[in-house]
Amino acid sequence: MREITIGQYIPGNSVIHRLDPRTKILITFAFMVLLFVIDDFTGYAFPAVFIIVASLLSGISLKYMIRGLRPLVVIILLTFVLNLFMIKGRVIYEVGPLDITYEGLHQGVFMVLRLVMLIVGTSLLTLTTSPITLTDGIESLLKPFSRVGVPAHELAMMMTIALRFIPTLMEETDKIMKAQMARGADFSSGNIVKRAKSLVPLLVPLFISAFRRADDLAMAMESRCYRGGENRTRMKQLRMTYADLVAFIATGLLAAGSLASRFIW
Amino acid sequence: MRRQNLSAFIEGALMIGIATILSFIKVFQAPYGGSVTLGSMVPIILYSVRHGAAKGVLAGTVYGLLQLVIEPYIVHPAQVILDYPLAFGLLGLAGLFGGRIYLGIPAGILGRFLSHLLSGVIFFASYAPEGMNALVYSAIYNGSYLLPELVISLLAVRFVLYRFIRKNEGSGDSG
Repeated sequence: MREITIGQYIPGNSVIHRLDPRTKILITFAFMVLLFVIDDFTGYAFPAVFIIVASLLSGISLKYMIRGLRPLVVIILLTFVLNLFMIKGRVIYEVGPLDITYEGLHQGVFMVLRLVMLIVGTSLLTLTTSPITLTDGIESLLKPFSRVGVPAHELAMMMTIALRFIPTLMEETDKIMKAQMARGADFSSGNIVKRAKSLVPLLVPLFISAFRRADDLAMAMESRCYRGGENRTRMKQLRMTYADLVAFIATGLLAAGSLASRFIW
Repeated sequence: MRRQNLSAFIEGALMIGIATILSFIKVFQAPYGGSVTLGSMVPIILYSVRHGAAKGVLAGTVYGLLQLVIEPYIVHPAQVILDYPLAFGLLGLAGLFGGRIYLGIPAGILGRFLSHLLSGVIFFASYAPEGMNALVYSAIYNGSYLLPELVISLLAVRFVLYRFIRKNEGSGDSG
């Protein structure tokens, strides 16, 4: 089957790739919260080292991860400029009616560092974990909440089927497009309204075939005795290993170090 | 899980699939995340109208998680929840009004808007200095891409996909 990659996953077999998805999700969340708790520059040395080590271990270059910042350049610049000009304090430079203050510069650099580390650090999760594995992790993490009515299994089942069928539906869209083009449909010319209108004969068959496919798939699953998440076994069990333990300990040390640094310096 | 139910869940999964594909077709990309797409919310909204708000919220949440996995835009721990699973989950509110799409569609998109609005306020509170009117900025920013998206969704459902609102249609051969 033709593989269409969605998401940012870079296949690999590094230690980070092989970590349990639950470990990676939990650590990513802890990392995000930590970045907001740290309130001085020395504290930031710890998450910075953490990112560099994780990148070395994962085999994904830091350069590649930093390239992921590109779509967020505007928001990073905006954050910097807002802080630079709007914080009152000791004026170090004047640009027309605006003052750049020492405090503003300090705060601006601090916020940009926080944002950059947040984006680069969290991207490591999606870069080293495939969407399907992430789904398994999410299901497993949500399972305890199914007691209070969170449909963990249904959620994961829908996500898995959606992921599985996105390439199929794309192919289908392509096929319908070609079929309509053979009948003289024109998808590529005209203004935006005209082009939107030309998509009408595309959407209707796409929805109809999706509804039909859903019926077929439900029947196929029923015939194979699918009956929901309870007591269901899986071929690939998620298992925590020593590597996961080490990852948790490293995160604990990271948190302790970055929080302790404020008392030492 | 009864057959009727299973079939509804799977229909939801396929609607999420179509929504994801439509979300790749961007008409306009806003600078800080968020974009006007080719009616990528329509499948979720339509599904909510067909199967009710509860299933709609579930499908929306899954769609949001999928967006998070595919194209993450993460700037704050609370923002991750507000901008992804919650915002898209609230689209399911479209199913609260039965077949009355002129109430349902705006309700769903309003739900999504409010979630993004709150997320924007939190973003400003944690990154920008004090003294900015975060609420107004966030409202204008999120409105700028959700309003066109609302119009596209209404037009798409009204003129193209109206026939699918009734549950028993669409899966037959009459299409």
